[in-house]
Amino acid sequence: MIEDEGRRRIVAWVAQCVMPHEGKVRAWLARSRMSKEDIDDVIQEAYCRLSALDGFAAVDRPDAYFFSIARNLLASQMRRAKIVEIEAVAELEALSPFDDAPSPERAASARVELDRIRELVAALPERCRRIFELRKIEGLPQREIAARLGVSESVVENEGARGVRLILAALRSQEEAGVAAIERGAAAQGRPL
Amino acid sequence: MSRETAAQIERAASLWLMRIDREGRTPELVAELDAWLAGDRRRHGAWLQAESAWLLLDRLGQQETEIPETEAQIEQLPVPFSRRRLMIGGGAAIVASLAGGLFLLNRPETYATAIGEIRRVPLADGSTAAINTGSRVRVAFAAARRTVRLDRGEAWFQVARDPARPFLVEAGRVRVMAVGTAFSVRRRDGGADIMVTEGVVEAWADGAEGNRIRLAAGRRAFVADNAAIVAAPEAPSEVDRALAWRAGRIDLDGESLADAAAEFNRYNARRIVISDPALADERFHGIFRTDDPEGFAMAVRSSLEARVTLTVTEIRIGRSPL
Repeated sequence: MIEDEGRRRIVAWVAQCVMPHEGKVRAWLARSRMSKEDIDDVIQEAYCRLSALDGFAAVDRPDAYFFSIARNLLASQMRRAKIVEIEAVAELEALSPFDDAPSPERAASARVELDRIRELVAALPERCRRIFELRKIEGLPQREIAARLGVSESVVENEGARGVRLILAALRSQEEAGVAAIERGAAAQGRPL
Repeated sequence: MSRETAAQIERAASLWLMRIDREGRTPELVAELDAWLAGDRRRHGAWLQAESAWLLLDRLGQQETEIPETEAQIEQLPVPFSRRRLMIGGGAAIVASLAGGLFLLNRPETYATAIGEIRRVPLADGSTAAINTGSRVRVAFAAARRTVRLDRGEAWFQVARDPARPFLVEAGRVRVMAVGTAFSVRRRDGGADIMVTEGVVEAWADGAEGNRIRLAAGRRAFVADNAAIVAAPEAPSEVDRALAWRAGRIDLDGESLADAAAEFNRYNARRIVISDPALADERFHGIFRTDDPEGFAMAVRSSLEARVTLTVTEIRIGRSPL
């Protein structure tokens, strides 16, 4: 459904190389004592920056790159809000959990990723799962999915949309476990946390 | 009015996704989407996330053997890319001037048709596929080759010319290769039928690359899984007739009733049954709509004095009692 080839490349890159790290970036930003809502805003803004990118091929570490965008956005927001000490902002800016260690996800095979997507979909509520299977595996249009499930098209639309949000939420929570690994790595390098 | 929350934006983006999936990217809808995007920078971000999630879900339809190593491809990319311009907040007018062929996503797209459905789909390289009833086609284009897998059924391809990237159709063990041409492939038990409407194709069975046949426009051949090849003499009108399905037609020119019934039954859940074996060998002529087996049965009744019995699930054609 993505018609423009340039846009398709960006979307594919984000799906493959950025989204898997979003949970980790969020968890890191959560240390800033900013509210969850502020962090949500920052993440959406960070994706907005990615959608404006001039060629992502030059980005060597997509996870670190995404993190630094989000961190800088958050730091400027913190400065504006004046709710934290300047030192806290400086500290936030100085740290990156992604500097050195090779990202384990980077080595994750397509096979593993496929399993991950399947798990995510399997965990969805029954109707969301059926809609995605009929749409993506069987290739049925929404109209036929509605007929097949015996529901209206607006149910397919709403449930499909809900399924997409649940997938996004699951991707986020899945990666928060990765934060512990980052902390261990940072601690090993003698950095403050 | 209070500021829209990120969660509200995400909800709106997910609904946009489904709406565009349902209605397609019509200019009106794209204009409406752009207007929505322009309202808040965060909406661009949420939209990118929603589209990315949707793309991830495409993997569900992939076979394990054909998972592309996208990550590896990205790493091999020459840098820098030419600059792309995107107007943030001013509509998603993207001018992509990427050098062609540098980075081709090898993600297969799957197209499946239901019984009676005939679909024409544009392919990413400018080719067109017409997919006949009850068929499944998977398209996987890579830098050096355009591969299409015909899992079942029949499809006709109008191939965009690109000598650097041959167009290969795989139908079970049967292989058909073209550069710029138009041809159809139909899977059969034990092999595949190939018909050429323009240009030239080469066909062979996997593992028997030495035994190839070159087929020019107007020719047809059956390539068996065991590499046997049966070519028919040149007959462009035969090929056109056999491909009448592209216009939703079945064109009969002396086929037996049994064959004609089988042809209709490809397109319809309501089956034609020839109940009298003697009638099955009768020859028949005429052009019918693929979705009108009843019209066919009525024509048989009047010209062969057969008896037709209609039920919800069947159309039985038999001899009238004398």
